[in-house]
Amino acid sequence: MQQEAARMGRDDVKESRLSGLGNAFLAQGFTMYPVLLLLVVVGAFVAPRFLTYANIINILEQVSVLGLTTIGLTFVLLIGRVDLSLEGIVGFAPMLAAITLVPAAAGGLGVQLPGWVGLVVALGTAGLIGAFNGFLVIRVGLNPFISTLGLLVLLRGGVLIVSNGRSIYSPGAEFVFLGSAKIVGLPVSVLVFLATALAVGVVLQYHRYGRALYAIGGNEEAARAAGINVDRMIWSAFVFASLLAGLAGVLLTGRLDSAVTTQGQGIIFSAFAAAVIGGVSLGGGRGTIVGVVSGVLLIGVINNLLTLAQVPSFYVQASTGAVIVIAAILTTLANRRSGGVRTRT
Amino acid sequence: MDMTRPIVEMREITKTFGSTRALKGVDFTVAPGEVHALLGRNGAGKSTLVSALSGFTPADSGMIRIANVEIEANGRDYSSAIRDVIAHVQQKPQLFDLLTVAENLFVESGSVRNRFGLVSHRAMHDGASRLLQEWKMNIKPESLAGELKPGSRQLLEIVKALRRGVPVIILDEPTAALGASEKHILFEHVKSLKQSGVSFVYISHHLDEVFEVADNVTVLRDGQIVAARRPVADLDVQTLANLMMGSKTTRSVRFDHGDYNARPLLKATDILISPTSPVPINFEVRPGEIVALAGPVGGGKENLAMILAGQQKPFRGEITGNGGLPRIGFVPTDRHASGYVGMLGVRENIGLGGLDVLSGDLGFIDASHETSLVRDLVGKTDVIASSVEQAVGQLSGGNQQKVVFARALVRDPQVFIALSPTRGVDVGAKEQLYGLLRDLAARGLGVVVVSDEEDEINVLANRVVIIFDERATGELTGDYRMEDLILRMEGVA
Repeated sequence: MQQEAARMGRDDVKESRLSGLGNAFLAQGFTMYPVLLLLVVVGAFVAPRFLTYANIINILEQVSVLGLTTIGLTFVLLIGRVDLSLEGIVGFAPMLAAITLVPAAAGGLGVQLPGWVGLVVALGTAGLIGAFNGFLVIRVGLNPFISTLGLLVLLRGGVLIVSNGRSIYSPGAEFVFLGSAKIVGLPVSVLVFLATALAVGVVLQYHRYGRALYAIGGNEEAARAAGINVDRMIWSAFVFASLLAGLAGVLLTGRLDSAVTTQGQGIIFSAFAAAVIGGVSLGGGRGTIVGVVSGVLLIGVINNLLTLAQVPSFYVQASTGAVIVIAAILTTLANRRSGGVRTRT
Repeated sequence: MDMTRPIVEMREITKTFGSTRALKGVDFTVAPGEVHALLGRNGAGKSTLVSALSGFTPADSGMIRIANVEIEANGRDYSSAIRDVIAHVQQKPQLFDLLTVAENLFVESGSVRNRFGLVSHRAMHDGASRLLQEWKMNIKPESLAGELKPGSRQLLEIVKALRRGVPVIILDEPTAALGASEKHILFEHVKSLKQSGVSFVYISHHLDEVFEVADNVTVLRDGQIVAARRPVADLDVQTLANLMMGSKTTRSVRFDHGDYNARPLLKATDILISPTSPVPINFEVRPGEIVALAGPVGGGKENLAMILAGQQKPFRGEITGNGGLPRIGFVPTDRHASGYVGMLGVRENIGLGGLDVLSGDLGFIDASHETSLVRDLVGKTDVIASSVEQAVGQLSGGNQQKVVFARALVRDPQVFIALSPTRGVDVGAKEQLYGLLRDLAARGLGVVVVSDEEDEINVLANRVVIIFDERATGELTGDYRMEDLILRMEGVA
């Protein structure tokens, strides 16, 4: 009797609609949005300036760089690996581009390439670093944690070497455009972030590439047995991650109108935090861009609220950390209850 | 043989796994200084019985006595109580790959500790060197266990057990990876330990070994004893086969859709599975036939199937088809390891079998195509789940396996290769999967099945190729008898 009812295709028998909806809610990555909503409501009461257009735009602008980096990191996390070097790319790629753009007197190489070529250099460098990461993991067989950690430190040093230890100012109008210009009142950086989030989200959800990524993260051997070229996919994940980190670096440089030697420092922690809060599993195979965006927004909103509430700056970092831990606990509990399949956070 | 008290007594031993009664009230005794062979077909209960004896898998009920230790079994763990009186060498070596040979040999031994409890590496090294020399093993005590050849690993596992000085030792398929000279050394040691009163329980597929080294034989069938403590001198191969198989006539209803005049769909030419494979293998699959690869575990049948499916590269030789390789549907041997992605749903898992087939030019999955294809395959394989979105990790074993089959069918294959197609699957689903394989053959696919279950092979395959020690040692076709199948699988021509 029960078997009959469980046969598929019978529309009159569904699992409890509520629990089905609940599972879909969690699976799609909406877990943190109620929390976000709560914070927004709290914020509106605590700080009258919170719910203004200008402030909202401000939050979005603040998180664009983190957002792009986190989306990049997500590619790698989904297949069950890590990439710590993204932080280094955020600093190095624009710096390398900058020295090809500015005159020798300002610290550059003196080649003074046209502005848009600088963008190509930045993204190209990022892509090459990503390919190198992939090479170390797949061909050489290094543990990604160690190899990308090494790259991170290498790139931090690399920035100092190519810039001679000095920040480079005003690399070019193209950078400024991406980093600080506004179109119809919306910052270009925010548009870039949202467009990227949309594109990547669609690919992960509806494209065969995304399907293959989730499969590899869920069970790499099964993906291999099914005929997926796992090595090529792993390689591509590292490349995409680096490209997005490079783009994030370009935006940051544009916002500051300079390639700063300390650019990007610390961003990898926030990126991991945002990803985990957003429901991306460190074990691979789980996580959506919808969730990642919520994680990024959460961090942005908290920072903003603390600033508006005039909390002394000493407390901001600790409070953000506390929120991260709480949010991670909530996400993990939610994941366990929904999937029934245990994964690492 | 000693007429004194038996060193091992097992009474009314039962063991049930889920709905399967693996042991149905088994009595078993072993005398001191005896080599006692335990025989039976795959699935008869031999490994379960010895695991119950050693405590590796505790029995559900019954009495077990080894030397002076007596246990009343109740499903709970009793391995610690009998640890000092019995050693169990399992089919797969349980070595610590990252420790050295010396460390593996002495890992639990008090003999290498000084009075402070500290381990003396010098003592371990010297002890290990001595043992290795005794067994004529040409390896250094400092080598890592993980680096050894399969034969050395197996021998090391045996040495470990024999060194412990326990009165009862279980050897489960001890010679699977051993060469002729290594086997000889093993038997010598077994015989000499026997002289000093040590008893052995010996499980092996190689009937010739049983005749060489065993004193008595006990035969299990379907979880029950059919012959107890028969002296080996009174037995021959034919009698043993009858005992193992039972007297029921197995006339199988096998349909043969094979088109033996057609060109082969898939051809393996001069395949050497590994550098140590003795003779090249040649193998063909024709449309409409179901051919089984049979043989003992570790003998190479699985490797050959993986090579045919393109999942593994042979050491030498090539795989060709009829003007290019055919489309191959592949069901791996362990669905949990490589068959399905537990956290993804039925739909997504099936889709993995052909993401390129399901997507358009830009690579986006065509949802309607996917839905209809999945629905079609779910219908064909009869997957039972609450919906196509249900995570495959939550389904029963049989349904999980059906999902794997469905995944293998997405590309409309011409050749279907299934390893252990119904392992861990309930009886109902088994029958359904058999029906599916027969349908595939009827539709003109070439089907290759790799299995450890003689019943399964008998019911499905028109042709059976025996793979033993990485070579093709024989072939059965047409209306072959179950008896022949079993004997071939036991290594008797």
